[in-house]
Amino acid sequence: MSSMINYGIDLGTTNSLIARFNKGQVEVFKNPTGFKETLPSVVGFRSDRIMVGEQARTYAEKDSKSVASRFKRKMGTTEAIKIKALNAAKTPVELSAFVLKELKTFIHTGDSPEAAVITVPASFDMVQANATKEAGHLAGFKQVVLLQEPIAASLAYANKDNSNDLKNSQWIVYDLGGGTFDVALVKIVEGELTVVDHEGDNYLGGSDFDALIVEKLIVPELKKRGSFGDLLGQLKSETGKYNRLWAVLLHRAEEAKIELSNRASAEIDLSLVRDLVDDAGVPIESIITITRSEFEAVIKDAIDATADMMRKILTRNSLRAQDLRFVLMVGGATYTPFVRKRIEELMGIPINTDIDPTNAIAVGAAYFAATKELKLEVTGGDVAPAGEIKVRAAYNRASQEKEELFSARVEGDTGGLFYRITRDDGAFDSGLKKLNARITEDLPLQENAFNLFTFRIYDGKNNPVAATVGSIQIAQGKYSVAGQLLPEDLSLVKDDPGARDTRLDRVFEKNHVLPTKAKKAVEVGKTIIKDSDDELRIMIVEGPAENHPSTNKPVGVLLISGRQLSRDLLKGTGVDLTFEMSESRDLTVSAYLDGTGQEFSQVFDQKPRAVPVRTLASEIQMLDAKLDAEQQEATENENFETAEDLKKLKGQVQELVGEAALLSIDDVTDDRFKLEDRKRKVAQELNALTASKRVDKARVEYAKAKREVSNLVRESGDDKERHQLAELLAREHTFINSSNPERIQTATLGLERLRYQILFRTPDFLVGMFQSLVERRAGMNDQLQAKTLIETGKRNIQSEAWEDLRAVNGRLWNLLPQTDKDSEEMKSFTGIV
Amino acid sequence: MFTSSPEVPKWLLALLNQLYEIEQKLLRHGDPANALRNVTKIKDNLEESGLFYEDPMGQSFKETRTDLEATISGSQTDNLVVVEVIKPIIRGGTRDFSRIVQKGIVVVETKKVSTS
Repeated sequence: MSSMINYGIDLGTTNSLIARFNKGQVEVFKNPTGFKETLPSVVGFRSDRIMVGEQARTYAEKDSKSVASRFKRKMGTTEAIKIKALNAAKTPVELSAFVLKELKTFIHTGDSPEAAVITVPASFDMVQANATKEAGHLAGFKQVVLLQEPIAASLAYANKDNSNDLKNSQWIVYDLGGGTFDVALVKIVEGELTVVDHEGDNYLGGSDFDALIVEKLIVPELKKRGSFGDLLGQLKSETGKYNRLWAVLLHRAEEAKIELSNRASAEIDLSLVRDLVDDAGVPIESIITITRSEFEAVIKDAIDATADMMRKILTRNSLRAQDLRFVLMVGGATYTPFVRKRIEELMGIPINTDIDPTNAIAVGAAYFAATKELKLEVTGGDVAPAGEIKVRAAYNRASQEKEELFSARVEGDTGGLFYRITRDDGAFDSGLKKLNARITEDLPLQENAFNLFTFRIYDGKNNPVAATVGSIQIAQGKYSVAGQLLPEDLSLVKDDPGARDTRLDRVFEKNHVLPTKAKKAVEVGKTIIKDSDDELRIMIVEGPAENHPSTNKPVGVLLISGRQLSRDLLKGTGVDLTFEMSESRDLTVSAYLDGTGQEFSQVFDQKPRAVPVRTLASEIQMLDAKLDAEQQEATENENFETAEDLKKLKGQVQELVGEAALLSIDDVTDDRFKLEDRKRKVAQELNALTASKRVDKARVEYAKAKREVSNLVRESGDDKERHQLAELLAREHTFINSSNPERIQTATLGLERLRYQILFRTPDFLVGMFQSLVERRAGMNDQLQAKTLIETGKRNIQSEAWEDLRAVNGRLWNLLPQTDKDSEEMKSFTGIV
Repeated sequence: MFTSSPEVPKWLLALLNQLYEIEQKLLRHGDPANALRNVTKIKDNLEESGLFYEDPMGQSFKETRTDLEATISGSQTDNLVVVEVIKPIIRGGTRDFSRIVQKGIVVVETKKVSTS
């Protein structure tokens, strides 16, 4: 453990920060949800909880009786702030201690520092400084070292780069923050950094600029566009008609202000504001443009006033501009280019913007802390309780409600202890609450999600206390009695032209809680001509998604025929599919065709199953063809036993073919369901008979592809492809021992894709493809063009212009007649890929 | 995926905020060209990459909510509901497990009890 203090805290009027020096670097800690380094210095006491920071700031203006802010400026006075909710008063010291304790929770490393450097304004006298020290002790720091803010900022600059030699020089620290302004003259006196003089304005900062934009630019513009009475008054007044708009305008003004740092103009877009109408109810044109020069004009007076304060310092100290090395800019408002430019212009002193203006003071404090030895002072403060605390919690693990009651019994000495529950996603914080023997808390739940909460117990100084509390986990909308689970995977059947087969694409996973909704984007696999009988079949089946489609139970088919199309649907057009399943398992399938802008939708309740006769007939035909192929292969391989079994199946399929032919298209009996059931059973048997063979074959194919693609990647692959291959191979253990051939085939397919990705770049492949196309020249549609292209191709080969050769190949391919190309493709079944 | 780290690039958050504004404008001012479909597609793509937003409009607000940065309009501070959304809540992760990566920025107001 380091023997230095290392922790630096900027305890600001509006915002506070904490930073730590570690191994030469300073880390500024962010709040536990990880968004901001700053903690608003605001403390609220609402209901029975204590809240510090953002949550408290929300209520600062509207509930000043229970929320305290800007108390730093009252440090060292006897003034106490009355808190209605507590029916008591809190001193600025106590309030500051709350802020310091909250900052400790920013430390993600689990450390619980016992010492810190805390910064104070240059204007603080001894009494105020001592009050700050007391706040530090109250927050549990046994050693507190104070540091003046301008010095801290200067240290941040000096440490940023060792070449910053400040010897024999003096400079000004110009600190324009969110709500306060301080300026100080710093110089090195006898080797030590010293604040020689200072000035300030407790009510000037960046937020005033936002208000000025609203008051001086937006409001006059709105008044020009509509008829308003006292618009500004109505905006600012709590009871005003436009009070809601005030907050929106301030926010948009802040965004515009930031945008104007880089651009000459910014637009304020109010079209999202509900009911933006004037007093007569007429809608207002909602885009307001603000130029940089307009913005600069409205803040000019405020900036000039800060320059006046600097001049006073110069006069009092008989200094000229050239006596000063630079003006060091600190505080978020100094990001505004005009502030920098104007100060430089008015003062004639160079501006120094080398340090991050928002966290410079905390960073400087941490650098200082790294030079200060830990000397733990003995204080009379509380000591963390030694006795162990046991918590027995009771709550529902699964809920359909938006909130769930958490209650717990606490055993052990709870005196002086607090607890706090936070939701791990960062959306809930109970604030600090007194720990009692019995505690209850309403926990809000994120819908349809697993909600994790952390329960922590703290002592009076916000140091965590060891206690047997696990995390709280509540599933909302999951695993409840009311929510039905899906018994099987539901999948979409797609064509798989590569395998000349169909395959499944899972839509909903087994055990998914109903109701549910999913989307898929697919492509049209073959062109469907308007008014033709061709059709797209959006087919949903139930059963394991890894299986072959034919073995799964059909749930429904949404048919879109050429006759329904408003124009031809070209191959490659996108189709957006939406699947919705209700709790009673009614499935709604909707298809939006990007090409025609049409939307088709159908609801399938679970019975009767929707099995169109035409679809069933093509399925049976496919099964028949597959059976033939398997039978032939088994005979060729002298696998007579399997061949015999397959022969029996063939007999059954023949029957199915015959029966299917007898069904009329509009059959209303349940014959087609019986037929479908039998077809599925045959398919399952076929699958089982050929599974081990197919697994073996799939493994052999995979091994071959793996060997070849690995070699290819080694020889011709780039970094990305090497990475892709490594990823594919890393997953090998998940499928290689599977009894499911489809899973292995999917992996092989991945390897093949990689193979072609590389091959399409390699000269050998391109030349080979070119030669094969040249051989098919006789059948090409345009002989003249083919001739020219072939000559170009030959020249490309000679000049090794491989990119050009690839283009030639593509164009030659397009000259092949449709039938030639189709021979490469499978007969489409669903029409979607 | 953005589950483990709340450090989502700023430009990506800016993109989601703009998308939310487009969606709201289309919903409020009409969508003759069916552009909402494109918005939904972009949202789906982003959600697949682990980022999605949540519109807190109309939700109730109290001091324990840390997913919203709220400004209170009016003089009352009880029974607050969100009446304006300046920025939506952005979450990283999946619908089952996610973390806040951007707090929503909203205006809240005491819920008006209907007198009828």
